[in-house]
Amino acid sequence: MMEMFKKPFGYEPILTKEDLRNAEKKHKGPRASDWKRTLLRIWKLVDEQRGLLIAVFIMVIISSIAGLLGPFLMGYIIDHFVIPKEFQRMVPMIGVLIGVYIVYAVTLFMQNYWMVGIAQTTVYRMRTGAFKHLLKLPISYFDKRQHGEIMSRLTNDIETVSATLNTSFIQVFSSLLTLAGTIIVMLYLSPSLTLITMIVIPLMFIAMRWITKRTSKLFKAQQEALGDLNGMIEETISGQSIVKAFSQEDHVKQDFYMKSKRLKNVGFWALVYSGYIPKVFNFLNNMSFAIIAGIGGIFAYYGWVTIGTIVIFTEYARQFTRPLNDLANQINTVLSAIAGAERVFSIMDEEIEEDRGNLPDDYLIRGEVEFRNVSFKYESKNKSDTLHNLNFRVQPGQTVALVGPTGAGKTTTMLLIARFYDANSGEILIDGKNIRDYKRQTLRRQMAFVLQDPFLFEASVRENIRYGRLDATDEEVVDAAKKANAHDFIMKLPKGYDTVLKADGSEISQGQKQLLSIARAFLANPAILLLDEATSSIDTVTEKKIQEALEELMKGRTSFVIAHRLNTVRHADIVFVMKDGRIAESGSQQELIEKDGIYANMLKQSKGGGV
Amino acid sequence: MKVVLSYLKPYKWFALIALGLMLLELVAELAQPIIIAKIIDEGIVLKDFHVIFLWGCMLIGIASLAFLCGIVNTYFAAHAAQSFALDLRNALFRKIQSFSMTTFLKYPTSSLITRLTNDVQQVQSILFMSLRIMIRAPLAVVLSLVMVFFVNAKMAMILMIGTPILTIFLYIIVKNGSLLFGQVQRRMDRVNRALQESLQAIYLVKAYMRNAYETEKFNRIAEDLKLDTMKALRMMELMMPIMSFVLNVSLLLAIWYGAREVSMNEAQVGELVAVVNYALRITGYFGMFAFILNGFTRAKASSERMAEILVMEEGLEEEKSGTETPKEEFGTVRFKGVSFKYPNTKKLVLQDISFEVKQGEKLAIMGTTGSGKTTLLSLIPRFYEPSKGEIVVNGRNISDWSLKDLRNMIGYVPQKALLFTGSIENNVKWGKRMAEHREVVAATTKAQIHDTILNFPEQYKTRVGQKGVNLSGGQKQRLSIARAIIRKPQILILDDSTSALDVKTEAALWDALKDTEATMLVVTQKIHTAKGADRIVLLDEGKIVAIGTHDELMKSSKLYQQIASTQEEQVGDE
Repeated sequence: MMEMFKKPFGYEPILTKEDLRNAEKKHKGPRASDWKRTLLRIWKLVDEQRGLLIAVFIMVIISSIAGLLGPFLMGYIIDHFVIPKEFQRMVPMIGVLIGVYIVYAVTLFMQNYWMVGIAQTTVYRMRTGAFKHLLKLPISYFDKRQHGEIMSRLTNDIETVSATLNTSFIQVFSSLLTLAGTIIVMLYLSPSLTLITMIVIPLMFIAMRWITKRTSKLFKAQQEALGDLNGMIEETISGQSIVKAFSQEDHVKQDFYMKSKRLKNVGFWALVYSGYIPKVFNFLNNMSFAIIAGIGGIFAYYGWVTIGTIVIFTEYARQFTRPLNDLANQINTVLSAIAGAERVFSIMDEEIEEDRGNLPDDYLIRGEVEFRNVSFKYESKNKSDTLHNLNFRVQPGQTVALVGPTGAGKTTTMLLIARFYDANSGEILIDGKNIRDYKRQTLRRQMAFVLQDPFLFEASVRENIRYGRLDATDEEVVDAAKKANAHDFIMKLPKGYDTVLKADGSEISQGQKQLLSIARAFLANPAILLLDEATSSIDTVTEKKIQEALEELMKGRTSFVIAHRLNTVRHADIVFVMKDGRIAESGSQQELIEKDGIYANMLKQSKGGGV
Repeated sequence: MKVVLSYLKPYKWFALIALGLMLLELVAELAQPIIIAKIIDEGIVLKDFHVIFLWGCMLIGIASLAFLCGIVNTYFAAHAAQSFALDLRNALFRKIQSFSMTTFLKYPTSSLITRLTNDVQQVQSILFMSLRIMIRAPLAVVLSLVMVFFVNAKMAMILMIGTPILTIFLYIIVKNGSLLFGQVQRRMDRVNRALQESLQAIYLVKAYMRNAYETEKFNRIAEDLKLDTMKALRMMELMMPIMSFVLNVSLLLAIWYGAREVSMNEAQVGELVAVVNYALRITGYFGMFAFILNGFTRAKASSERMAEILVMEEGLEEEKSGTETPKEEFGTVRFKGVSFKYPNTKKLVLQDISFEVKQGEKLAIMGTTGSGKTTLLSLIPRFYEPSKGEIVVNGRNISDWSLKDLRNMIGYVPQKALLFTGSIENNVKWGKRMAEHREVVAATTKAQIHDTILNFPEQYKTRVGQKGVNLSGGQKQRLSIARAIIRKPQILILDDSTSALDVKTEAALWDALKDTEATMLVVTQKIHTAKGADRIVLLDEGKIVAIGTHDELMKSSKLYQQIASTQEEQVGDE
């Protein structure tokens, strides 16, 4: 039994002395200003609704006054009407009092009503602002992070801000009001005793510092642990079929448990340290009582103050410390909000994709693509370049086939053309102009990309196709679907084009997803077409049917096509055989066959077939 | 609420102790005024320095005791709340892990995520709060009322005149509030879903420059969340003003009545003052009271969402204890008249499928897009139950196998190579946790990816991003194959898993797989892959239209000839 009750004290500490010392050293100053900056940023968002904010403040003031006036009038009634037994004169006073109560109730409701509006609008702006910024971040940002972790920032972290704004603002303001009022009255009653009461303030300050130094770190750690857990959950549940196929339930449960336990541990300490605040403040209050009673007693002993003053004073000391207590409690929630907000703002502080093209927005691309000594490597694989010194030039309207073993850099080449990444060295020219001179919008509006891994949104089939060109009419959508050979299967879906696809896309096959993805490209009407394994999951009979349409589509457009089935690319004007990030061979199909090199070999193998 | 609260049971002692300490703290605080009175009456008035000192020390002692109680309470409350949350999260996650695939279709990932994090946090934080301050407010209110009764019962009755109305009012607010908060949580699911979708589709969003479109879509969803949150919170904000108004008016009535009593000398003025004082104290606690009710309402909504998962009994994967493998049909997969439709749909995706594959054989499955190939494969590890017919593995109906035993026999390579965040080594080991590095290398060598891995800067320790973002399509596929073959499965299922491989690599892969004893079921689009199979099943619109070897099908099946012709055409071209 005893062992069990030792548990609450047996938690492994999260913060070591060293951590705290380091924090002190490293952050002497900047830490405080970090908070200030974060608070200021939240304030700026709140302040955008200044009108409402002022209304709230006015309501708080009125309700505070009404709140004080109620008891005061009540006392007045008792003193002046009840004791002298003058009932008749009481009636108008009661009317006034009811009026005061109504004002109190209404202003109380209104301040909260408006505050909820301000808070939620702020939260909305933070959330949508972060999301908007998120979409502008370079692809490499997403490569490094788990989806669930990013999601946690826009949900769980923002929730801490939401919770704080809903209540703390009004609390802090009305606490400050009460505090100021009390101090004035106390000073009026006895300046010396007031000073004595204030002795606890430096103590409170020290305690506050001691606690917040810990909680600010712990809150942050807690949000991080939560984000980590969120990331794990999202990834595991999204990949549930693999978990099941490999019977790895026990393992992921274990994994979850470890992450969940880490959250528990951090959360425990965050609760404990933040839980100290009211307790410590209570203690200091009580001590100040003792001091007032003790020192006041001595004062009274010598006749410096009256006993009545001491009695009133202890009462006021209580009044004085209550708002201080409230403030201290609010500091807690504010700190947790800061921890959450910091993680949201850190998204907003990420540098967005540089997009400083100076070419006009309506610049029409003809479709000439040139690579000059282009080298590139991904951040994560920092040893060898993915592309080495790539050089080629493609005329407008040509169809280029990119072939070669996996990992040769085919997809990377395409990603560079669409400027998902920037080359580390060398230049990419579109129509003879550096790709960086184009705005991304200008560039991509004139490109269509069919990705290796087709993605469909949880929306109707029609909307999914329309993603290729948002202003396309229904007829154009159907037309595109027909060209992509998707029309027939769409018509067999329960609601045809209006069938809403599930998130997991269980109703349609991978191949059908590719067909829809191709239909999107048909709608887009691009100058440059990028097809990355666009038909890999489509059977060859269906592929052949779309092939003609695709060829039609490619006509007059510069097209880059990656395919492992060489039949898919047999109409290409030029073939680039890529290997280890270089172009090993290039030329027309005929040239390459005559050359009898790698490509010719590949062709033979694919025909020779068999395993 | 009950279901969720039952997870507090193991920690009830911690919770009770926390509550006890809270009471103790409260008592110590209440003792203070009495002591101060003593100091004044006996010390200051009588000028007895000794008494002042003694009771002064007492005051400090009691304050210290209260402090100690408070701190210890914090530890107990934090422990109870966090342990409760941990158990709750675990129970939820375990339950979710036992969901059948059909159930997963019903609950989107995003909604499960919200329940596992946000909802748990909601309940946990209100629990912690409760263990520290909860009873304080109600207790103070009740005690004050009791005191009023002692002072003057009639006035007390009048003071409580509004109670029934308030009770009904609060009941309505809590009930509607929890509905509204439930809606808020569902909106949160939507936000999560929208975020997840945009993140998954980030390449597509960027390729089509749909930032504005996506942002607008997200804004709408965030706006809904905002509006519903506002609605719920504003509803709760009604509580405090109305409660205090009703009480204040009742107080006025009480005074009116009291004043009459006083005038008839049936009550004392002091009684009246006392009643007023207590009533004012009660209103002082209303803020906290409203705060608690607010938290409770929110927690109720979240609890219901969690309970929905926790009590679920249908749609789970059943657990059967394993049984010995009958040796005579080792590695055999047999479909007998299997038909299948996805839950909640009408169309049969598979119709009357029958075939058999024996140990070490390789069966190729071909067919047009959407003809049911992937669905057919997904029935073997029992992701879904066939609507009709039976599937027999190793001579036993798969519904008689324990899922674990069944799936442990299978190496599954899905169409979409799905990898997890972590090192390459760990991703391969996902197939066999206890595997040694040697086995990992053996698997990757067979999967034709070993050399590629060695070229990575950190080799087997190279970190794979979520869903394998930093690997090429073919690399992902080969890792996914390595993950399956490291299990040395009796049955190897490959769902078009070599589509991104070039011919040479693919040929080497099939070559390496030749000497495995595994029964192979391979979905493919490529004729030359099919040629290497012992038999080919040709599907069209969910039905088997032909079955046989390459040569047989070349003679008998029109569809097969057609497929072959699309791939052989090039020969003619030259």
